[in-house]
Amino acid sequence: MQKKISSIQSNLSGFNAIAALAAKKTEPFTDDNLELNFQDCTHFDANMAAPLYAALTNYHVNSVLAINIRQEIRTILKKNGFLGELGVVHRVEADQTILPFWRFNRNDGVAFAGYLQHFMKGRGIPNMSASLTKRFLQSLFEIFQNAAMHSDSKSGIFVCGQFSPTMHRLDFTIADAGIGIRENVRRHLNIPINSCAAIAWAVQAGHTTRTTKQPGGLGLKLLKDFIHINQGKIQIVSRYGFHEIAHTEAPFHKLDYDFPGTCVNIEINTNDTRNYVLKSEIKSSDIF
Amino acid sequence: MHNTITISITDILGCDLCISSEDGQRIFETIAPLIDEGKQVILSFKGVSMLISLFLNTAVGQLYGKFSDLEVRNQLDVEGLAADDLELLQGVVDNAKRYYSNPQEYDKAWALEGDDEE
Repeated sequence: MQKKISSIQSNLSGFNAIAALAAKKTEPFTDDNLELNFQDCTHFDANMAAPLYAALTNYHVNSVLAINIRQEIRTILKKNGFLGELGVVHRVEADQTILPFWRFNRNDGVAFAGYLQHFMKGRGIPNMSASLTKRFLQSLFEIFQNAAMHSDSKSGIFVCGQFSPTMHRLDFTIADAGIGIRENVRRHLNIPINSCAAIAWAVQAGHTTRTTKQPGGLGLKLLKDFIHINQGKIQIVSRYGFHEIAHTEAPFHKLDYDFPGTCVNIEINTNDTRNYVLKSEIKSSDIF
Repeated sequence: MHNTITISITDILGCDLCISSEDGQRIFETIAPLIDEGKQVILSFKGVSMLISLFLNTAVGQLYGKFSDLEVRNQLDVEGLAADDLELLQGVVDNAKRYYSNPQEYDKAWALEGDDEE
């Protein structure tokens, strides 16, 4: 079976194209092999390999081939390890601007920490202040652990990042092939909520779908606050829902197809030199 | 001061990462009985390299479901936290107080807005 891959950028159109790839209901599927035809693909944002992999988990095939792929795109997907993960090429060492594609088990928070330690420290991703680096890493852990806790993704969690030195932007994407925010919120609230409304619910402070009676739901709120100050961007895609939070507005869009899981893309301004510390000092004795 | 006990998070967890609710639960289960016994507990974050809200919700926020605000305030203190992590803890504590004052509050408000055209 063959599927066409169009140009993929970190935007609504790119996520729609990936969701379309995952939607295979209309075609009976009996092949052992899946061919990804990149003939129409002239651009591929490296970090989008994570949601692409989530889409491919819908196909239970023995092998995936990438055909008609332009050399520059082949190089991108080879360097970030995506083609190596598919078995198309051998894995190669990532270059200085790449946080390579990696697949983690859901309970592998410590391994994810090791990945960030290895790829963030001293070998890529330069020019970030210590304060910004700390907030960025905290954000990534919040997203990763959210996916670990709520996604029920049997095939794990997929991550990938790309640094653009000339734009001073760093994109990092965490995707899963789980049940989606919608299903979590439906179970929690016991109402037939749609994907966009479910995302809107989940990004509010204090909202959590934990089944244990514990407080939670701060992770996405903290992420939003950070991105607002940093003038970065977050994209949250879950099932039919697409939500982009930039420093100015926060639109929701319904995707044309069902993305099989959840994906969070965080883009930060790496030139930010703010100190992310309170202006007025908090004493520990005043907190409780 | 023999009534004061310092709990080292890195000693209990055996690592410097405070990133999971399971580890948060281990800390909660360590300090809750001590507070119950009337001890003064100092929760030491010395040596912790990464701290996120998910961990703090379980380790500390959950205390407000078991003890009164006054009991937590009188018997718990923290050390070894950078200024920005203190801010994070403040947010977790405020959120926990709101949650335990009325856990169903947000859910009810949103229940009216549900629909399902998918």
